[in-house]
Amino acid sequence: MKRILEIVWIILVGLTVFAYLLGHLHYINSFFVAILLLTTFIKVQLVLDYFMELKNVTGKYRWIPSIWLTIVISLIAVAYYLPVSSTH
Amino acid sequence: MSQNSTLKEKYPPGDFGVWIIIYVELITFGLFFIGYAFSRRANIEMFNHSQLMLETTSGFINTLLLVTSSYFVVKAVTSIQNMPHDRREEFNKKASKWLLLAMLFGAGFLVNKIFEFSYIFGEGITLSTNKFFMFYLLLTGFHFMHVLLGSVILFNIFQKTRIYGYTVEDHKGIVSGAAYWHMVDFLWIVLFPLVYIIR
Repeated sequence: MKRILEIVWIILVGLTVFAYLLGHLHYINSFFVAILLLTTFIKVQLVLDYFMELKNVTGKYRWIPSIWLTIVISLIAVAYYLPVSSTH
Repeated sequence: MSQNSTLKEKYPPGDFGVWIIIYVELITFGLFFIGYAFSRRANIEMFNHSQLMLETTSGFINTLLLVTSSYFVVKAVTSIQNMPHDRREEFNKKASKWLLLAMLFGAGFLVNKIFEFSYIFGEGITLSTNKFFMFYLLLTGFHFMHVLLGSVILFNIFQKTRIYGYTVEDHKGIVSGAAYWHMVDFLWIVLFPLVYIIR
């Protein structure tokens, strides 16, 4: 696709606007946080694949940053969704 | 091995040294991000309340600036990669224009961040105010340093394009510098929702 970089940029901007609008909601519920984390994952993966050209790389060097991203986003989700134990 | 995988590169683009730096940065920032998320669990009310003092619009503008700057850097790199052998000057010039735009947007990020920091410090907030602001100042301050270093790298690459220094065969420098700049970009892409939006 000839205009792939422009499409990637438009998606990145669009998802950033979406995140900003979510930030203006007074109450962000768990569902919105899940969407926010998912869109963050997509944005970083797009930068890795198309801006950093890792889609043209094979093997472990293709996946190291993606594995990092998966671990970080998953642990943020765990920290958010895991019930907070009460001492009372 | 499939034909598709034989067409792919074994190593990431640019100098492998820059990728070692990127991996180290990923570990450092990753620990910061996870540390923030788990510290928040210990005092959700305080984190949510403190977060309201941040200017989300400033974080949003900075995300747009970095993402767009990254796009300009890719355009500079592709200009060099797609350069015909006999049009070195023209395509280096083209790359330098994209890099100039990228640097301007990077500078915009830094200026905006300085305004944000001066507002925060003006409110009397320091590293010891509370855990939220400790993370906020460390994370965004540390990231600010990376944008600063990235800008210096971009300037060096820009200088080289001004003397038509890149060729189709030899352009590892611009690709390596671009990889660092994209890392700075995607770290902010994670930082923005984590610190400014999620509550």
